[in-house]
Amino acid sequence: MADLRTNFAGIKAPNPFWLASAPPTNTGYQVQRAFEAGWGGAVWKTLGDPILNVSSRFAGTSYNGKQVMGFNNIELISDRPLEVNLQEIYETKKKYPDHAVIASLMVEPQQEKWHEIVKKVQDVGVDGFELNFGCPHGMAERGMGAASGQVPELVEKQTMWAKEAAEVPVIVKLTPNITDITATALAAVQGGADAISMINTINSLAGVDLDSWNTIPHVAGKGAHGGYCGPAVKPIALNMVAECARDPELNNIPISGMGGISTWSDAAEYMLMGAGSVQVCTAAMHHGFSIVEDMIDGLQNYMDEKKLETLDDIVGKSVPKYSDWGDLDLNYKVVARINNDVCINCNKCHIACEDTSHQCIDMLTAEDGTDYLEVREEDCVGCNLCSIVCPVDGAIDMVEIPNGEPMTWNDRQAAIKQTSTSATELA
Amino acid sequence: MASYEEFLEEKSKIDELVEKGYRIGKVEENLSGAFVDFERPNEKKQSEKKQLHILNPDTRKYFSNLLIAQQKNK
Repeated sequence: MADLRTNFAGIKAPNPFWLASAPPTNTGYQVQRAFEAGWGGAVWKTLGDPILNVSSRFAGTSYNGKQVMGFNNIELISDRPLEVNLQEIYETKKKYPDHAVIASLMVEPQQEKWHEIVKKVQDVGVDGFELNFGCPHGMAERGMGAASGQVPELVEKQTMWAKEAAEVPVIVKLTPNITDITATALAAVQGGADAISMINTINSLAGVDLDSWNTIPHVAGKGAHGGYCGPAVKPIALNMVAECARDPELNNIPISGMGGISTWSDAAEYMLMGAGSVQVCTAAMHHGFSIVEDMIDGLQNYMDEKKLETLDDIVGKSVPKYSDWGDLDLNYKVVARINNDVCINCNKCHIACEDTSHQCIDMLTAEDGTDYLEVREEDCVGCNLCSIVCPVDGAIDMVEIPNGEPMTWNDRQAAIKQTSTSATELA
Repeated sequence: MASYEEFLEEKSKIDELVEKGYRIGKVEENLSGAFVDFERPNEKKQSEKKQLHILNPDTRKYFSNLLIAQQKNK
C-alpha cells in the first residue's frame, strides 16, 4: 500500500491532508477531533491580537442546485487570547506528537511584533509557522493580511523577521488578490521562507438579496467584501500553484496547495502540479471532518493503481507539462466526432457550435428519416465546446488528427523574424 | 465562404508559387493579415517577386510550416 507519510519542508505528518487555518482549526477540541478523524496536520486558526467578529459571517453560493460551489466569509482571525490558544496547542501536540501542528500568525508589519509572537508560539512546540499574508477582509483594512501580502517588500521583510526568531520551518501563505503571485512568492523566497502556501481567499461579494437589496451576508443592513473559497476557486488556485512550481527563480520551494479541494482527486491534481501537502477548509465545513477518510483511501488506491510508492513519486510530475502559450504546438489538431449510437439528439452541441463557436455541426436527416448530427471535421477547430456542453458521456469524442511536425508560436515568430533579418542583410 | 474553402483557395495559390520555384522571402503581418513575399531568381539572375495576402488562420499556419522547413533546408 502506498506510503502517504509526508515530510513537507521538514514538517512531518502521517499524511498530506491538513486542515487549513480557518474556523475548523479554531480550538484544541476541533483540531484533536480532526486528528482522530484522520487528518495528518492542522494549521491553527490565525493567532494575533484577539479580534472582534460580527454576527452573520458566511455565505454559500449555489449553482444549479449544487450547494456550496463557493463559500464567502467575513470572519477574522482568532478572537481568543493568545495564552488560551497556546495552552490548547500544547495539549494537542502532547496528545498527537506525530501530527503536524502549524501555527498561522498575523501581526502588524513590525520586527519586534514578529519576534514576540514567533518566540511565544514556538515555545509550546508547534511544528512550523504559516505567516498569514493573505486574509483579504477586515485585517487588511488594518494593514495586515492581504494588505501586506500584496507588497513584495513587506512580504520579504516580514518573512525575514519571522525567520530571525523561528527555530521551526516558516511557510508563507500568499494572497491570490494580486496580478502575479510569483512576485510575492519570490519575495517570500528572498526573505528566507522554507515553504509557501496558496491560495488564501479571493475578494468577493456573495450576492445581493433582491427583496431587501441587502448584501449577502449583511450585518444590520450593511455588507463588506469577504474572502471566497470552495470548489469554484480550484482552477484559479491550481494555476497559481503550478505557476509557482514551474518558476525557476523559486528554486523548487515546497508548496502547500489549497483552494477548493474536496476529494482525493482534487488533492492528487494539486500534488501533480507541485503541492507537497494540501490544505482543506470548505469541504470540511460542508461535510465534516470524516471526509478525510475517503481522501486517504482514494489517494492510496490511486497511487497503488499507478504503482506509486511514496508521495515523491507524484508531487510535481505534471509541472513539466505546464508551459507558456507560446510554446504550445500550433499544428496539434483535435476534432469532434459524434457517436450517433449514444447521441440523444438534444442538439445542444449544434446550438453551442452554431451560436458561439465555429458553425461546424450539421443537423442532418438520414434516408430512413432519422435525424442525426455530424461534424464537418475540416471546419472544426477542436475547441471542445460541443463535448463540454454534451449531457451524455461518450456521445462526443475529441479525436487527435495527425497534422505534421510540431510548430509553436515562438518557433513561427522566430522564423518570420529571420526573414526580415535576411531582407535587411540583403539590402 | 467557409473557412476551410478559403484555406484551400489560399493554399493552392501558395502551392502554385512553390511549384514554380518561388520561396518565401519576407513576411509582414498587420491588422489585415499576412503579406507574404515570394521570390525566385530568373534567367537574368534577378529576383522575381510575388506577394500573397493571406487572410485565413490555417493558411497562416501553412505558410509558417513551409517557411520553417525552407529555413531548415537552407
